Amino acid sequence: MKKSLLDYTLKIKLPLILFVAAVSFIFTFYVSRAERDGVGYQPEQPINYSHKLHAGDMGIDCQYCHTGVSKGRHALVPSLNICMNCHTVSRKNQPEIVKLTKYYEEGKMLPWKRVHKVPDYAYFNHSVHVNKGIDCESCHGNVRQMDVISQVKPFTMTACLDCHRNPQDQLWYLNDVKRGPENCAACHR
Amino acid sequence: MPKWAMVIDLDKCTGCGDCMAACKLENNIAIVSPEEANVGRVMFWMDMITTYEGEYPNIKVKRIPKPCFHCDNPPCTRVCPVYATYKNDEGLVGQIYHRCIGCRYCMVACPYTAKVFNWYEPKWPDEFKSCLNPDVSLRMVGVVEKCSFCAHRLIKVKENADMEEREIYDGEYSPACGESCPTNAIYFGDIDNKESQVYKLSQSSRSYREMENLGTEPKVIYLSKRE
Repeated sequence: MKKSLLDYTLKIKLPLILFVAAVSFIFTFYVSRAERDGVGYQPEQPINYSHKLHAGDMGIDCQYCHTGVSKGRHALVPSLNICMNCHTVSRKNQPEIVKLTKYYEEGKMLPWKRVHKVPDYAYFNHSVHVNKGIDCESCHGNVRQMDVISQVKPFTMTACLDCHRNPQDQLWYLNDVKRGPENCAACHR
Repeated sequence: MPKWAMVIDLDKCTGCGDCMAACKLENNIAIVSPEEANVGRVMFWMDMITTYEGEYPNIKVKRIPKPCFHCDNPPCTRVCPVYATYKNDEGLVGQIYHRCIGCRYCMVACPYTAKVFNWYEPKWPDEFKSCLNPDVSLRMVGVVEKCSFCAHRLIKVKENADMEEREIYDGEYSPACGESCPTNAIYFGDIDNKESQVYKLSQSSRSYREMENLGTEPKVIYLSKRE
């Protein structure tokens, strides 16, 4: 009797407990991923805007629309008049452009959903990074290939520090790159 | 590596309290109701110590502005159990609010009572909300905060200097209190640089540091002829 109880524990109970623990760990790991580091976050936007078409196929420079990126802290989402520079003429009859024109004529802003988020206690300045020659791709992934924008790299403190500590590994395309600051006050204030 | 220090000339200071107001606005410090302030929960990073001497017609008033002293040998960083307060290599003693657990050991350890605690969720009147400084993060309830020597201004100055590929010149980086002082009683700069104004003033015969016998080596230096 005693032996069979031990047998039951070792053969069935223990593997079952381990299996359930492993499955729940893996499940939580993937489900909470977007919450932890944002990877894979891909919200539905109010307009089917394609970065692949504009930035990839047509080769429009990022800074044509994201005007603030080399001047200040925020990259800035373009205001509608930048869209309308071209779209007053081109592809006026497409349904998505009609939607865009409607927003423009009503004088409203497009309610974009923000994809890349940094918490408010962390300071990040685009201009310093961009003006030192760091490519947008290093943090935002290959946007030129994305139809719907999504986050592909983690935006965690570890990710920031990885690059600040070993910039040569991450930014291999830059010849002369300084180490970023590592003290707390550089970002948290 | 520079070592930032402040010199406050008490002979020039009129005690107007402009530095307190500038600090409060610059750093998004919460406004506390009068009842709470009376029980010692008032929040100032730049405080004003007022002492009265003598009897009524012959009163001597002393007004002493008191920021965090950013000690070279800070007692507060030693006691923090979670490393939320730390001294960086430029001598600034910082506080990371979202790491702070609100145990208030550092407030007890600080001999200058430079730290304040958020007893409530910080609140501002509605008209005030558009005045909040986007460069400084808002604190939450239950964390300790203190003067940072306007470290966000240092980051800006450093970034500008880095872009233009030059060194930071003397007087470029100044906290809000120093910038707002109407009598220019507050000087700020690198005390390791022998050319800087702060170094020269710190060598003056009028200079003294608060509670020097404690060995905290504060980096705020007062100048005064009076005792």
